[in-house]
Amino acid sequence: MSHKEYIYLTPMPVRIWHWLNALGIVTLCITGLQIRFPEYVNIFGTYKSAITLHNTAGIVVSISYGLWLFYYMFVAGTLAKLYVPNLEDLKSGIFRQAFFYFFNYFLGRPNPHHSTPDNKFNPMQKAAYLMIMLVLLPLVILTGILLMNVSPLRELILIVGGIKVLVSAHFLIACCFFAFLFVHIYLATLGHSPFAHFKPMWDGWEEVEDHH
Amino acid sequence: MNMQSCRLMSYLIMLVLSVVSVAAATGAENEKCLGCHGSKEIIGKGEERLYVDAAKFAATTHAMIGCTSCHEGVTPGHPQDGFRPPKARCKECHGNIQTEYAQSLHGSKAACADCHNPHAVKKPLSVSGDDINAQCAKCHDTKKIVTSHTKWLPQADLHIDAIPCITCHTGSTNYVITLYIQDRPAKQNHADFKVASYPELASLVPEGKDVRSLVDKNGDGLISLQELRTFNREARKKNMRLWGMMTPEVVTHSYQILDNRWDCSFCHASGPKAMQTSYVAFPDQNGTYNRVAVEKGAVLDLLYGTPDFYMMGSTRSTPLNIIGALILVGGLMMPIGHGTFRFLTRKNRKEH
Repeated sequence: MSHKEYIYLTPMPVRIWHWLNALGIVTLCITGLQIRFPEYVNIFGTYKSAITLHNTAGIVVSISYGLWLFYYMFVAGTLAKLYVPNLEDLKSGIFRQAFFYFFNYFLGRPNPHHSTPDNKFNPMQKAAYLMIMLVLLPLVILTGILLMNVSPLRELILIVGGIKVLVSAHFLIACCFFAFLFVHIYLATLGHSPFAHFKPMWDGWEEVEDHH
Repeated sequence: MNMQSCRLMSYLIMLVLSVVSVAAATGAENEKCLGCHGSKEIIGKGEERLYVDAAKFAATTHAMIGCTSCHEGVTPGHPQDGFRPPKARCKECHGNIQTEYAQSLHGSKAACADCHNPHAVKKPLSVSGDDINAQCAKCHDTKKIVTSHTKWLPQADLHIDAIPCITCHTGSTNYVITLYIQDRPAKQNHADFKVASYPELASLVPEGKDVRSLVDKNGDGLISLQELRTFNREARKKNMRLWGMMTPEVVTHSYQILDNRWDCSFCHASGPKAMQTSYVAFPDQNGTYNRVAVEKGAVLDLLYGTPDFYMMGSTRSTPLNIIGALILVGGLMMPIGHGTFRFLTRKNRKEH
């Protein structure tokens, strides 16, 4: 016999941030595509609309990132605990999780990680999110701010190595985010049911299937 | 040699001799005028416009036709005779330009000489983009221009720094990227970059060597991508940079507000093929600029071809696009690859 148990995994501020961020990132990817390849992609009418929307979404994502950082550092205070892999994660956790995804999962064996509000992410998630939230996102925001203000911030751009370095970094990081979207959405379907991981990001509650 | 050939040869010799003798006579005549008008002392005797900078004048096409072609009727008693020699009207020679200009928005606002000093006039390709904009700024305040363009143009200050006004406000055509060497004082790291003058560049090369050798190291008259990269790497240490401007090859005087320029895609969606041609323009002693062609496609180089010049959408680098596409393919491998195995092994998970 089995019964269903629920845990409150994702608090409301995190959910609001997540969907705002998701909308922002998707908008940035699509407008960015038009900005880089205007001869082939014209989704938003004029080039200027794509630029305006890209800049606006960029500002929204930057502000929401600031709020996210503030929330995890000062309100919830769980940034290090949730996002920084511990020694155990680095020594064996990441490999165990990778082994699950690429081998044990296909054999129908259980996921070694069980989410709790204090240990929400598996070791691979921790490593990926740490890289994304504390390295790539700040970098894409910084390069974006510089690219939006080329003349006023010229000195900083020269220190970085010139506008081409900036554009290249911004574009490649954006590609990483685009690629991450595919991986992120796909991995979210690997719960005990395809939508099991989507639900807590919507209403906060994750269903835990308990076998007796 | 037959009779006809002999006759042709003699005509040619006569033609060459007559051109040479006219040029020699014109040169002597110009020198006579410049004896007084080429000295700044003349400013004190009349108006500033009476002074003609001999070096600048010599570089003009007008010098070839001679002073008296435009200022007829100078008497042997000049200037004591009290007769003020007349000035030719520009349209007498430049009729087509005058007609085109008169019909333009600008026609009633400024006369030819307000922008073109006939004694220092240069060919369009011998003028820097900055110099062109400096002419416009004599009447159009740059700050006001930036403010008015900001209403619709993102990063208007950047655009105005990188595009001569005439690129958008005349019917000029055939745009290329012209790169100018800019510098700033060695110990003033936050000063604005300005287009380097001839003396500044000449001080960087061994005496007697051409300033073009700063970039065109092998002196073959073509700047290779490698030479451009080398210069850019060195330039950083010397407080210099190459500043690119989108300049027209064919200029017109049809001043107007072109509707298609409101659309950013006019420049930004022209595609990398349109941005293949570029030049580095070097100043010479007369204040004119000489262009040296750059290897095709240099502006599209990933990093060091033109590290400070990038036009969104138009000068994107193909190798970077390929790397970006590989990253995306890497991301797609997860749903496609893992998803395939997931589908094939679905029965294993149903048992649990």
